[in-house]
Amino acid sequence: MTDTLAHPITDSPAPPAVRVRRQTRSGAVALVVSILLLLALVTMPWWASQGLIRQIVELCCYIAIAQMWNLLAGYAGLVSVGQQAFMGVAAYFMFVLAQTWGINPFLAVVLCLLAPAVLAVPIYALLHRLDGPYFAIGTWVVAEVMRLATSNFAYVNAGAGMSLRVMSTYSADQRAIGVTLLCALMLLVTVGGSYWLLRSRYGLALTALRDNPVAAASQGVNVSRLRFMIFVAAAIGTGLAGAVYFMAQLRITPPSAFDPNWANIAIFIVMVGGIGSIEGVLIGALIYFFADRWFGDYGAIYLVVLGLLTLFMALFARGGLWGLLCKVVDAPWFPTRRTLLDSKG
Amino acid sequence: MQWLDGLIQGVLLGGLYAQYALGMALMFGVMRIVNITHGDLMVLLALVGISLAGSFALGPISVLLVVVPLGAALGWLLQRGILNRVVGADPLPSLIATFGLSVALQNLMLQIWKADTRSLPGGGIEQASFQLGPIFVGVLPVIVLVTATVLTGGLDSLLRHTRFGRALRASSADVEAAALTGINPRAIYAGATAIAVGILGFAAVFQSLRATVAPADGPFQLIYAFEAVIIGGMGSIWGAFLGAMVLGISQSIGFRIDPGFGILAGHLVFLAVLAIRPQGILGRE
Repeated sequence: MTDTLAHPITDSPAPPAVRVRRQTRSGAVALVVSILLLLALVTMPWWASQGLIRQIVELCCYIAIAQMWNLLAGYAGLVSVGQQAFMGVAAYFMFVLAQTWGINPFLAVVLCLLAPAVLAVPIYALLHRLDGPYFAIGTWVVAEVMRLATSNFAYVNAGAGMSLRVMSTYSADQRAIGVTLLCALMLLVTVGGSYWLLRSRYGLALTALRDNPVAAASQGVNVSRLRFMIFVAAAIGTGLAGAVYFMAQLRITPPSAFDPNWANIAIFIVMVGGIGSIEGVLIGALIYFFADRWFGDYGAIYLVVLGLLTLFMALFARGGLWGLLCKVVDAPWFPTRRTLLDSKG
Repeated sequence: MQWLDGLIQGVLLGGLYAQYALGMALMFGVMRIVNITHGDLMVLLALVGISLAGSFALGPISVLLVVVPLGAALGWLLQRGILNRVVGADPLPSLIATFGLSVALQNLMLQIWKADTRSLPGGGIEQASFQLGPIFVGVLPVIVLVTATVLTGGLDSLLRHTRFGRALRASSADVEAAALTGINPRAIYAGATAIAVGILGFAAVFQSLRATVAPADGPFQLIYAFEAVIIGGMGSIWGAFLGAMVLGISQSIGFRIDPGFGILAGHLVFLAVLAIRPQGILGRE
């Protein structure tokens, strides 16, 4: 998998054609494994129990939300603690579309993404004036505004919340098939989409932005437009995860839809797994998923440990577990680097 | 009359918010750090104060005398142990570190004090009020407002007129140049955080006298402090005070329009300020 880049520079002697390697053996293996896992996911209704499907749907939502946060914080330098605003808005709009307006719920999951996309534009216009840490708390305020506004909004049943009763017109099997297909679509859009984005020329710009925004701007990267694009894309991806999650839950209330705990989960997954890499998100999501199932019963003490672990990672291991692993073996699952090969080879 | 009452109660509520906001304005002005544990530290100090008052039968003033130095010590430790490692141009590490600490602190407090709301008995002062024309004004809220004004004035003149204040302003303008003139920025930072959390000691005592505290309240106090700082203008001490007044008045008037609208009104005024005057009331372009 090599491609040749020829530089069309007219007024100087043409530079030698170079070969750039963009795929590695570990990447090819990982790609095959990913496709097999996706196939396993969509065939789950035929071999897995209802309980297992519910758990896997939750895991997929963790991965999607964390990857969107990773794109924001790890590449665009936009640290948000209010992405639950987009989850809640998309999920609520999906409930309204399906339950109140009678649109097919599986179609509604896709249509409802209009809401986070439209909402992200004015939010970014307001908040991008706040720099660094203040941007983060600004997003939190927006999520609180959405929660309080929804709690007072009679059309969506205010604080009492809504139920997705239309789902009872489908059999359990039909629901399982629909939800797992949507999950696969969600992973393709969030993880696959990020991978595609990072390998495109936007990926080069994003990597430059991650490493040094000022230097990136001086190399011709339109930093503010790129950040805006990423903010809107992350809003849509996070909204999709919200819609899928609450479709599986069948019930939504303002405190659950706009739960700040989603920010904790995303930050924990990305910081422990490794910020600025897709592999880190997958590792972090698996760790969180199993930690939550094994130690969740310890309640407060378990969350104290999660919090301290996040603190520890921020202080001593910024690159997370994937960063530590990369120091030992260089075998990326989703290679985004461009390696210059010998021009003759 | 209802609106005049709302305005006066709003100014008094603003006195409490000013005490939350001063420390944040100081820390952001000097180190450009936002400490996410800001609200949780306030709740922690309040819960410690309430427990002390219960165990040793301390009055509010004795609690204040314990809690303020304790806050200063916690602030110094926080800066020395954690924040000095993450302070820098990149806001991500300090944000994530204090975010993790905030989750840990909230749940640790939940484990120790359970989820109950508690308050500090004030020996009758919390119910005392006097009549100002047709409006009743609580004695305690007036004390809170006066304390907030004195703290703001004190902090402002500390920054303007003392050696420590000059060192602080120098470090915030240019850390390396300040270090060249013989200032130790890390010691200055530790001092600033100690002052910021020490002021939270006042807020803790007054909050627990006026209303209640529970382990999960911290994030809300953090958001109010943050809104006050942004409304007033980043980095300005009197700006934070003014922003707290605007926030208090917005919430108080909002509550009188509809009880479900109070907090939301404060958030909306904050977003409006961000849209119309992003540098804040006292901020410069």
